Amino acid sequence: MSKPPKIISDELGITFNNISDAAMGIFTPTLRLGVTGLSRAGKTVFITSLIHNLLTNSSLPAFSAQAEGRLIAAKLSEHPKQTIPRFAYEQHLKAITDKAPYWPNSTSSISQIRITLKFQSNNWLISRFGLSKLNIDIIDYPGEWLLDLELLNMSFADWSKITLQQSLRPNSKKHSKQFFEVLKKVDLRADATEPDALSLKQAFTQYLSKCKKDESSLSILLPGRFLMPGDLEGSPALSFSPLPAQKNPVKKTSLYAMFERRFEAYKSQIVKPFFIEHFAQLDRQIVLVDVLRSLNLGHQAISDLEIALEQVLTCFNTGSKNPLMQLITRKIDRILFAATKADHLHHTSHNRLEAILKRLVKDATKKAKFTGAQTNSIALSSIRSTFENEIKQDGEKLHTIVGYPQRDEKLDKETYDGKTEIALFPGDLPSDTESIFQDKKHPVKLNFLRFLPPQKFNKNENNEIILPYIRLDKALEFLIGDWLK
Amino acid sequence: MRKPIAIKSHKQKPSGKIKSERSAQAFAPPQQKEIISSIIEKTNSPQQIDSSFTKIHWLRNIFLISISLLISLAIGLWFEQLIGSLFTRNIWLGYIGITALVIMLLALMVFFIREIFALLRLKHIDNLRTLASQTLIDDNNKQGKKIIAELLSLYANRPEMAAARTNLEKISPDIFDGSVMIQHSERTLMSSLDKQAKALISASAKRVSIVTAISPRALVDIIFVAYESFKLASNIAKLYGARPSVFGSLKIGSAILSHLAITGGVALGDSVVQQLLGHSMAAKVSARLGEGLVNGLMSVRVGIAAMRVIRPLPFNTLKQPKVIDFIAELAKITKPD
Repeated sequence: MSKPPKIISDELGITFNNISDAAMGIFTPTLRLGVTGLSRAGKTVFITSLIHNLLTNSSLPAFSAQAEGRLIAAKLSEHPKQTIPRFAYEQHLKAITDKAPYWPNSTSSISQIRITLKFQSNNWLISRFGLSKLNIDIIDYPGEWLLDLELLNMSFADWSKITLQQSLRPNSKKHSKQFFEVLKKVDLRADATEPDALSLKQAFTQYLSKCKKDESSLSILLPGRFLMPGDLEGSPALSFSPLPAQKNPVKKTSLYAMFERRFEAYKSQIVKPFFIEHFAQLDRQIVLVDVLRSLNLGHQAISDLEIALEQVLTCFNTGSKNPLMQLITRKIDRILFAATKADHLHHTSHNRLEAILKRLVKDATKKAKFTGAQTNSIALSSIRSTFENEIKQDGEKLHTIVGYPQRDEKLDKETYDGKTEIALFPGDLPSDTESIFQDKKHPVKLNFLRFLPPQKFNKNENNEIILPYIRLDKALEFLIGDWLK
Repeated sequence: MRKPIAIKSHKQKPSGKIKSERSAQAFAPPQQKEIISSIIEKTNSPQQIDSSFTKIHWLRNIFLISISLLISLAIGLWFEQLIGSLFTRNIWLGYIGITALVIMLLALMVFFIREIFALLRLKHIDNLRTLASQTLIDDNNKQGKKIIAELLSLYANRPEMAAARTNLEKISPDIFDGSVMIQHSERTLMSSLDKQAKALISASAKRVSIVTAISPRALVDIIFVAYESFKLASNIAKLYGARPSVFGSLKIGSAILSHLAITGGVALGDSVVQQLLGHSMAAKVSARLGEGLVNGLMSVRVGIAAMRVIRPLPFNTLKQPKVIDFIAELAKITKPD
């Protein structure tokens, strides 16, 4: 299990950051909300919908500040950190509300956006001073990067061993063939040449991306930056690959030694700074999980997902909030696990989806609770792209959902073109949650199709688009509701 | 468990191909939630009364049935004799007597029917509150929808609530959790009613205080306090959707009394306030005024109890008014305008 990579000097740096933040926060407090999840979990859409619903002050019945009429206005504020890319809210919104709507591109790097809420406090003393303000910094980062924290406890030899073992598993064997061919040609003990290094790196990255595309194998694809390099594309710290262990000591100039140095650089120059600069300073965290996709893929994908989630969660710096200590240390005191895309099944199945999610994060929840943090699990849909319907079949009522499946989605040999509207009955979720973790033949193969964003949106009185959602308000209430009391 | 299927949405009837693929089907056991809720219903049922009381009930019932039989026989005999003697005096007098009797019986029937409806409505509101408190806990989606529908029909004939009703109708289909449904309907429907109820309570408390302060005899203000409390309770009941009725008011009255008896211990803070108000501050101005304030506070407590007893939703997102909220208003009568 990985441990937060902190030494005393790191702690000092984080503490200074927090003190300066606290000094600034006397006038307008800032809540740092981390949004993460493995790729395609729906992070971008979640943030877009959250920002849009706050900006347009749409009705959020479970979000008490809004429901009580205390939320006056919200606006996007100036970007607080000049070196981090801003979350491209406008672009993403445009993609979703386009004439031919499509889901925005996935998160490939860290990005951040600040939204400022103006509200009236419930507290008589605070409300005496007029309206209050709260900055919410939403920090979006790929969950794959968190998996990298695992590497900090590994040496190059350890990591190589594990990765090479994994690549020989039945699921991934076919993808790693090419990489092993390249590996055979290269002499690891001879002096390193850059072309050799590059070809090895490329073959390895290809193997990783093939595994990812295939989806049948591994939610855990280390190192995370190989697939999501962000702005580090092509840098030496990203140019290495696992190598078989060498029995005798190697020359300093050999390829093996070079890769070992690069691996260490990756750890100390990329993984650690990310942890210190962004990750150790969060107040709240939401972890988005695409349970439905893993359910489609079967039990192997489910257990991979469970392992990945557990690793992600060990990284969080959780604990209960202490107003005095908050000056020098920030802790995540609330974690929300959300099963996204709840609109891809009928609401009568939401209970079972939540039960599966709860089971997936069971161990992580226990750990978080032990440190004093609160956790919650809900099934949500950031943008509702289907509506519900009932169809009678063989005298039996089926709860169906109606929408446009994405292009190339398949069900029973039929492939959809992205232009037909269908009513889908995706199959019943198992009532026995444990059964999805077991390798037995299921009576039913579930098939949750991916749907396109809705073709048409309603508009509010200001002619702004209303983004429909499921339980987004509940998520907001849990994540920031208590700061708006 | 059932297999996934897709149907082209413009086709109403699913094709036969899908039918043949659905052959292997197994059905999930009934949902866990339903089982839990049925357990809750069982344990919550008020039927579990100590068995030693049932004997007394049985005796009492026999006594009541026999005595009411006797009384109705006596009344019937008396009417029969009255009509008979009217006919012997003059035939027209007899007809007039019979007509009056029929009209009286009809009026009595209508009265009882109305009372029965009013009692049923009261029971309905009571059930609604129990269901709502349960839904707040178990988050049942279906029950939440049912409660919203019933609330909407309960207040369907209130023109001043039209906007709130449309708001609720528009938003509730997008809510998926029973508890959020209840909270949202409380915010939209109850807030204006709560305000009106508070105004009623405060007005009644003021009247009681003034009458007590100026009444010449203690008996007068005792009667006035009783009358005002009764009127306040039935007004609040009407406000929250109960029908005005005699038996209904009696039932509400007894509920309020038992509520006050139970919360008497809880309202310790209030009695401290009363002590302060009654004996020191106001009493220095005038002894009668101090008493008036105490009586006013009494009717505030009756009003709050009435709200709790009659409100179709439990206090959850909105705050229940407290005695202290009314003191400032009540103290104003001590100041000359």
